[in-house]
Order: sequence, then C-alpha cells, then structure tokens
Amino acid sequence: MTVTIYTLAILYFSPILYMLLSGFKTEYQAVSPSFVFTPTLETYKSVLSDASLYTYLGNSIFQVLASSVLCLLLGLPAAFALAFGNFRKKGTRDKIYMWFLTTILLPPVAVLIPLYTWFHAWQLNTTPLGLLMAYVGFHVPIVVWMLYSFFADIPTEIMEASEIDGCTRFQQMMHIAVPLVRTGIISACLLVAVFIWNEFFLGFNLTGNDTATLPVYMSRFREQQGMFIAQLSASSTIAILPAIVLGWITQKSLVKGLTLGAVKG
Amino acid sequence: MEPCPARYTDCFSGIDNYLFFLKISDFTAVPEFYSIVLQTITVTVVALVICTVIGFLFSILLDHPIPGVNIARTLIMGPFFVMSTVTGVIWKKTILNTTFGWYGVLAKAVGLAPVDLLSYYPLPVIIFLFCWQWIPFFVLIMLAGLQGISGELVDSMRIDGLKWWQSTFWVKLPLIMNHIRVAVMLGLVFIVKEFGLILVTTAGGPGTRSYTLPYQVYMQIFSASNVGRAGALATMTVVLTLIAVNFVSKSMKKNNL
Repeated sequence: MTVTIYTLAILYFSPILYMLLSGFKTEYQAVSPSFVFTPTLETYKSVLSDASLYTYLGNSIFQVLASSVLCLLLGLPAAFALAFGNFRKKGTRDKIYMWFLTTILLPPVAVLIPLYTWFHAWQLNTTPLGLLMAYVGFHVPIVVWMLYSFFADIPTEIMEASEIDGCTRFQQMMHIAVPLVRTGIISACLLVAVFIWNEFFLGFNLTGNDTATLPVYMSRFREQQGMFIAQLSASSTIAILPAIVLGWITQKSLVKGLTLGAVKG
Repeated sequence: MEPCPARYTDCFSGIDNYLFFLKISDFTAVPEFYSIVLQTITVTVVALVICTVIGFLFSILLDHPIPGVNIARTLIMGPFFVMSTVTGVIWKKTILNTTFGWYGVLAKAVGLAPVDLLSYYPLPVIIFLFCWQWIPFFVLIMLAGLQGISGELVDSMRIDGLKWWQSTFWVKLPLIMNHIRVAVMLGLVFIVKEFGLILVTTAGGPGTRSYTLPYQVYMQIFSASNVGRAGALATMTVVLTLIAVNFVSKSMKKNNL
C-alpha cells in the first residue's frame, strides 16, 4: 500500500519534478530527456539576466500584493456585517450572500467586453490600475465567502457578551472577531494571492507589453520551437514556485474555507 | 434600413448578433457555434467525470495512515497550484513533443512512430491536462470529507465485517456526497472558464476543433474585432454556465436526500 501511494504520488508530480530538474541543465543537455546529468546554474544565470523577466515579475508581485490587501480591506467588513449585522428582513442576509456567491460563479468572459470598452474609454486599458480593479472585483467575493464561513463559526454568545460590555461594532470586529479567525483571514488572503498570481485571462486581455503579468510571460513560450527547454523550465520554476509554496502552506485552511461555506449553504 | 456593420456600437442591431451564431442556414452541416458549444460541453463533462472518479479513488488511497502520507498528499496537490499557461507549455514542450519530449523518445524506444497528439487528438489531450490540474482539487475536498467521517463509524464497519469495497462505496461515498457536490460545482465553474491552457497548447486548432466558448469570445474580440458578436456570445456563455451550475446543484441535491 505504502509503495503504491508513493509511486502514484511521484508519477503524478513527475512533470513538475522534471521541469525543476531541467532548469539545471544546459540547453544541449535538455534536448534529450533524462533524469541523470551534471547540474549547472548556467541556464538560471541567463534567464535571470533577462531584464524583461523582472518587469513581469514586478507586475505580478504588485498585482498580488495590492489586490490581496484591497480584497481584505473590502471583504473583511463585508463578511463581518453579513455574519453579525442585524437585517430588518429575515431573507436579506441570504440574498446578499447569494449575490456574492454568484459572482464567484461568473466566468470572466462575461465582463471582459464591458471592461475592455470602458477601460478603453477611460484610458485604463493597459495600466496596472485597470487590471487591479478587475482583480479586486473578482476576488472580493471569495474573501467574503471564506471569511463568512469562519465568522459563522464564532459562538454568538461571545459577540453578545462584548456588546453588553459596551464594545462598538468596529471594536467587536477588530478586537474580538478578527483575532478569533486570524488563520482564516491569512488563508483567504493567501488563496486570493495564489489565484491572482496564476490568473491568465484578464491579465492577458487587459494589459500591454509593460504591464503584463507572469502567466502572460509564460504563455509566450508557446510560440518558440523546441530548443529552449532548459530556459523554459528555469523560468517556469521561477513562475510557479511562489504559488506552489503558498498553496502547500494554505491547503488545510483552504479546504476548511471552501467546504464550510459550501457544504452548509 | 441600411445594414449596420456589427462592430460599430452606435446603432442598435436588435438580435442580429445572436442570430449570427444561432441561425442554421444549411442543415447538412453543423454550424460552427453549435459544434463549439458541443466541444465545450464535452470537455467539461468528460473532465468532471474523470476528475470525480479518479479523485475519489485517489482520496480513498490517501486516506490510509501510512508513514509520511502528508508528503504524498503534498506531491499530488502540486499541479493544482501551477498556473495553467505553465502546465500547457511544460506538457507541450517537454512531454508531448514528438522529437524532444518524453512521449516521443519513449515511443521511439518501443518502436512506434510518435504522432503529434496535440494536432490529431486535441480534445482528449486538453481533457487530460484539465484532469491533471483539477484532480488534486477534487482530492483536496473529498479527502477533507473522508477525514470528517468519525472513527467510531469506521470501527463499527470493521466489526460488522464489511469488505473494503462495501465500506467504500456504500458507506463512505454517500457520506461525502456533499463534498463531492462542492468539488463538482467549483470544478465546473473553473473548467468552463479555462482559457490559458487551450491558448498555449492548441490555440484552438486544428481549425476550430478545440475551441471552447471563452476562447471563441476572445477570438471574436481580438481577432475578428467584433465586439457586438463577442458580447452576444459571452452572454450565451454565462447563461449556459448558470443553467449548468443550477442543473448540477439541483440534481446532486436530489440524489443526496
């Protein structure tokens, strides 16, 4: 059993493994597939000396940091209000929650055309700001969805007790709710970061040459002929490593956020 | 009335843009729009079914408490966090390439002439790549469901003398139905809108054989510069997605009760 599971896992992971290894080959070594070779840092040196890589990397990092922070600033109060706010009508909470949920279901092609034409009119089309707005709009619902399920886990007695003790709403959020779901907040943020790091469709269509993100950079390799395998592998490794590491760190709370929110609803 | 070029947005064109895709002028051949819809449905449905089945089997395997099972889980989780464009180029260049890839080398080693899979079988290859990327996600969610099953229940199944397949398919499978529903719904939403993988592997080709709806919308905007038609197409994509999500969620809820 142990052997089966490990063989399966390694086989499943082998394309990524091979990619990680190929980055340490020279182009000549990479032409013939093999797992045995003398590693060299040559390819990494040449990939890292390409100035355009840093433009894409910088754009990606900017988008990820800025939109995670903005998503959290907008999503946290929204989720808090949804979870603990007093709604006059009984169904209102569920209705607002459903609106957030359906936004997650929306394919980005649906809004590409209005976004494209508006951004064109406002001259935001190839600016980082335009892409950032689109990203924040798409990922706030995910933050709200995950945080709502974490907030809903907090016993209402705690919130009531703090209200009796004279906490304002804002104090309740900052001093009671937020510390209790700290892991949830971090994981929601990291999940959004992974999603935005990997996002291709909007990044491809709403950016220009100097504002494009890493997935767009990687997609350019499709046009080259097969002689740049080592270079491709090295830059792929640089492009996916942050997301894989973040993903591995967050998978536990990711699954909690996803299943809690959905299994209940 | 003067016919209005569809790309100018300042005149109202009624439902012309929709009709352009929906009308069937020649009944002997399937119009492009319908074959693209069919391809989208095929890719999504087949990928979802494979992901669910294999994902379930994987998660049953990974539920075993072997030493260091977390390492195996982490390895299997890897492909999910890889950006789709990297998945596409890596598979295309280092594995499926007929001259320099593992596929080509291994096929030659056993004496077969490697055919270019991406040109001859674009849809199966795309489905395969989707599965490779999304099975980890299904495993992630189903494994959470399996681990939520109480130890007492597992013990009592053993005492009652259930065989492994009985306990797997009659007890555990129904218990994690909710998790499977979540995985299928989210998988559906994410696979339908997938675009990068198709662009980098086949670019929709050969011809329009591996177009999906999002890809066709993109082509209408940036290749045909036809924003009106692209808008009509995007609207229909959204409607179809929402119908599919609704259908899946309803039918799976019914089975569950």
